[in-house]
Amino acid sequence: MTEQNDNLETLMRRSLAGDQRAYAALLHETTRLLRPFLAKRMSIASEVDDLMQEILLSIHKARHTYDGNRPYRPWVYAIARFRLQDHLRVHYSDQLRHALDFDELEEYLLDPVTESLMSYESISGEVDKLPEKQAMILRFLHQDGYTAREVAEKTGMTESAVKVAAHRAYKVLRKKLER
Amino acid sequence: MANIDDLVTALAQDAAAVKPAPHPFLLCFQWMGAAAVYLALALAISGPRPDLLDRFHHTWFAAEIAALLGVFIVTSLSTALLAFPDLHQKRRLAFAPVAAFALFLGVMFLAWRADNPPSPLPVHSFECTLSIALMTLLPAAWAFYSLRKFASTHYRLAGSAALLSAFSVGALWLRLHEDTNSIAHLVEWHYLPMLVIGVAGLWLGKALLKW
Repeated sequence: MTEQNDNLETLMRRSLAGDQRAYAALLHETTRLLRPFLAKRMSIASEVDDLMQEILLSIHKARHTYDGNRPYRPWVYAIARFRLQDHLRVHYSDQLRHALDFDELEEYLLDPVTESLMSYESISGEVDKLPEKQAMILRFLHQDGYTAREVAEKTGMTESAVKVAAHRAYKVLRKKLER
Repeated sequence: MANIDDLVTALAQDAAAVKPAPHPFLLCFQWMGAAAVYLALALAISGPRPDLLDRFHHTWFAAEIAALLGVFIVTSLSTALLAFPDLHQKRRLAFAPVAAFALFLGVMFLAWRADNPPSPLPVHSFECTLSIALMTLLPAAWAFYSLRKFASTHYRLAGSAALLSAFSVGALWLRLHEDTNSIAHLVEWHYLPMLVIGVAGLWLGKALLKW
């Protein structure tokens, strides 16, 4: 029987005994097994790969908790689900951290985004260090003099999204300049 | 994909023979054996209550001790199962403490109804909780130390079950040592703190068992 034809339980038993080829085959099979499971739950392909790597590391770390006498799939899916939940928790808490307060947002959407007390040229160095999208919006607004609506049309974003992105950029810049 | 292939190669090169973790039932027996020795030693040092043998002839005392022993056994077993990522594929057993606590609650309710007229309250109060908590420290430390060698995907529940198991050892010791029959006192100062301990275990599990 070749390694490819071996079932996962056998491969894992041989891996636990120190068979490195069986272990590599098992991890490849596991990757094939888990990819659709993760892809169904995550939209960005690069994130699937990142998470897959975390899962493989976790399998490696926890392999002593598998004895080879019970089905392999429930064991590996338990680890995959655990890492997926962890990943999603971090992802959503990150989004929440970057979310704006609704009151703050409402107040802000009424403000003109192109008015500034400081000249754009004096802070253009800091603007370049911002994430690409934010930097581009500030350049359109302050260097080229477009309105938020015009920037929205140029970038394919909504006007509110442009204002929000600009607001976030201002917050970052304010923090940097206050230091 | 290239990164994954590289990682697989690296992990495979790093893979030496590994001794599989013991079966959770064996793990549970080891914990229970150690706890039994600890309990016996504690009772030998502190001394059992003077009327212990006589009390075992009282139905509700015997039922209470049996139910508490049940809580200890089931939480120990649950802790051992929760140490494995897939609960060793014995999910029902892992969540059996819910049934054990329900049974214990039922026994305490019936014991409270049977305590009529109520036994006199002892003069002390929080000292009991404190004594149980102190007795809990060593088994809890050992349980958490053991659990960290595994890979729990339910680390909060594992922490809670481990702490409850350790606390039930302390509760058993005090019940066999202290000459008190007041159910109101027992509920208030021996068993209600279990709720706090369960919640503290959730927090400790997150802090100590996350991997």
